[in-house]
Amino acid sequence: MTQAKPFLGFGLGLRAEHYQDILERKPQNIDWFEILSENYLIEGGKPLYFLDAIRQDYPMVMHGVSMSLGSTDELDFNYLGQLKALIQRIEPRWFSDHLCWTGVDHKNMHDLLPLPYTDEAIVHVADRISRVQDFIGRQMLIENLSSYITYCEDAMPEWEFLSAIAERADCYLLLDVNNIYVSSFNHHYDPLDYLDGVPAERVWQHHLAGHTNDGNLIIDTHDHDVIDPVWQLYAETAKRFGPVSTMIERDGNIPELDQVLAELEQARRIAAPYYQS
Amino acid sequence: MSHLRDLQLRFQDYLIDGSRAIEEDIVSTENALAEHRLGTYYNAYRIRLIDSLAVDFSALEHYLGRESFENLTLDYLLHHPSTRPSVRWFGQHLPEYLARFNHAGDAEFVHELAQYEWLQTIVFDAADSPTLVQLEDMAQIGAETWPALTFAFKPAMQWLDLYWNVPQIEHALDSGESVPDKHRSEFPLRWLLWRRDFKTYWRSLEVHEAWALQQAVNGANFADICQGLLEWIDAEQVALTAAGLLKQWISDQLVTRLGDF
Repeated sequence: MTQAKPFLGFGLGLRAEHYQDILERKPQNIDWFEILSENYLIEGGKPLYFLDAIRQDYPMVMHGVSMSLGSTDELDFNYLGQLKALIQRIEPRWFSDHLCWTGVDHKNMHDLLPLPYTDEAIVHVADRISRVQDFIGRQMLIENLSSYITYCEDAMPEWEFLSAIAERADCYLLLDVNNIYVSSFNHHYDPLDYLDGVPAERVWQHHLAGHTNDGNLIIDTHDHDVIDPVWQLYAETAKRFGPVSTMIERDGNIPELDQVLAELEQARRIAAPYYQS
Repeated sequence: MSHLRDLQLRFQDYLIDGSRAIEEDIVSTENALAEHRLGTYYNAYRIRLIDSLAVDFSALEHYLGRESFENLTLDYLLHHPSTRPSVRWFGQHLPEYLARFNHAGDAEFVHELAQYEWLQTIVFDAADSPTLVQLEDMAQIGAETWPALTFAFKPAMQWLDLYWNVPQIEHALDSGESVPDKHRSEFPLRWLLWRRDFKTYWRSLEVHEAWALQQAVNGANFADICQGLLEWIDAEQVALTAAGLLKQWISDQLVTRLGDF
């Protein structure tokens, strides 16, 4: 059953470079933060101190990179137990991870590796998401990837694969607008087909980010400002999905907080006409 | 074994050692050769993990230079692929790996530097200690209590024994200060690292303090420690010396509990 879509407003990925600035200034034009869960699966020290302090002033969501939902290894319940403890500690509005696998045979490549778009993979991943949701006791969001390869055995477009898994597992979508743009460039499809192909009621969050384009391939690097075509695609998402909690990710070449906030204001301006009606 | 698992094993083998069987599974066109597209993942895997090591072993990277650091860590990556959900633990075997497989002329120094930097990461995010013993607490201890007194220490405290002047060199490399010459002692010196107010501190310990701290951590009481200190300290001075050490540990915010537990 899908729930009414919560709208948190406009947020940022919480990064250590901005901890002090956020605590001192408590900027009012950030509605919420997304944390990288793995950065806080530790016992103590500075990161957890800042996490708890900033949580007092802002709502949060949790975003992971290690659940490896698509892996054919057993689910890592030790990791999931740590994740559950962190969820209990900071009480996020929701938690998410990627539609990918990160390793097999008990190894971790620390990369978001794509799955083949097959019925076998749909059944496999949806079952694992259901088990994670049962263990954590809440529904989760899954995020679409930027990808650089196409498997020969792909039997459907990515948006059909993503949607089928979300429906089967009864989970929600973190639709990364930059990733749709990147993958549509790399695999030569129309990104609007992607937007038209996913269930609007399940889209609960958007990521926006920059990338690196070598002319032939775009790599999702999160180390530049969001580019105009991604803003245009974001406007198309706002038109289709209405108010969706939106945030900017920055993981490299991290600028001052005010510069990222200026980008966030741009997201607000673009979405405003569609979010008011 | 499922078809999906076979595919994932082929892909992972390619990332780890370049095995090319996975290329057959990937669409290849004139403008997007499978080999090139896969290469994006191959290169990203190496860059991501080497960059992660360069954060945890930043002084080692400075000392060796990027190229040598990459060569060393590429070999490490091949032999010790990450097995933990968080990349934070990827470097845990690097000091031991260097001790076994690095045979350069400065291998012992490089190993000690890696050990020292890894311990810093352990101290950085070790569990917090909500309560700390204060100097005022010492005044409350009755004379009859002292002999049986034992001590608990914060988790964010580590030590290691080093022949080389690694801490001074590490500090200079990381802070951009002029780097002192390497110097090897005849005997190893024990270095204490601890976290206080989210900063990592370090200092060397004289032999008697190193011994006393180790005994205290292992649960020895004040009387036992005084007895052992007689090897270095005169009998009439030993209680004062032991109390002085305790005062120093408390001032450094190392002691979390006093008791007769």
